[in-house]
Amino acid sequence: MSFDTRSHKVMIAENERAVAEMLQIRLDVAGYHTMCCRNGAQTMEILSVMRPDVLILDLGLPDMDGWSILQALTNRFGKVPFPVLVMGRRLGVEDVRRAVSMGARDCLAKPFSGAEIVDRVERLLRRPAPVASAVAEARQLAAVESRF
Amino acid sequence: MATTLDVLAWEIELAGARCIFLDKVIGQTMRSLPVEQQGMLIEGLHAVDLLSQHLTNLSAFARTMSADAPAEVTAPVGRAIGDITLGALADRMATAFGAEEAAAVVESGDVDLF
Repeated sequence: MSFDTRSHKVMIAENERAVAEMLQIRLDVAGYHTMCCRNGAQTMEILSVMRPDVLILDLGLPDMDGWSILQALTNRFGKVPFPVLVMGRRLGVEDVRRAVSMGARDCLAKPFSGAEIVDRVERLLRRPAPVASAVAEARQLAAVESRF
Repeated sequence: MATTLDVLAWEIELAGARCIFLDKVIGQTMRSLPVEQQGMLIEGLHAVDLLSQHLTNLSAFARTMSADAPAEVTAPVGRAIGDITLGALADRMATAFGAEEAAAVVESGDVDLF
């Protein structure tokens, strides 16, 4: 079944320019409306006036990291009213567990492919209810890593 | 070394995304042309598609190499980054590599052809 991307707004909070531009092009081509914020303060300011359908949040923003933004969103809304996909370098099981416990719906370890992000965003929008798949995936990864 | 490969992977992935955008534009342009003129663009569309796949594969290679690179192995990038003449690319990469390499870029001077 085809998925209509045109009515969805995706907000990207990412300071690395190559990553941000790549994400924006891939999601634009897929049909989403995108907007990009380069720091935490700008992200919070925009989130105070609009709600995206998905927020892609880098944990390593320079001024206010992704953890602080997740915490601020939880403080403001109680339960974050839109899906948040967090991304970061060297994400471990504990990072994924922490992100999910703070309201993130999915996690992606950098670097990843452009196709992967389009797929994840679509999955989040098709399946709006919170899921524990990210934690389950991280557990599987930890189990595999522990064998080496 | 891992960071260098990461930065390369992102840049190749960005180039691939630009190809995908170009592919979309060519596809849209083709549809707006009369059928008898569409053939002119098909070869171009195939070339862009091939280029996109080429870049996607190279990016995947760089990502896997980055994941497998030993943490203690490092590579100096200052001289190599000086060879990048496209200003925006050199600036992005220097920022991603860090302040030390950024200084190397400033010293090298860059030529932005566009």
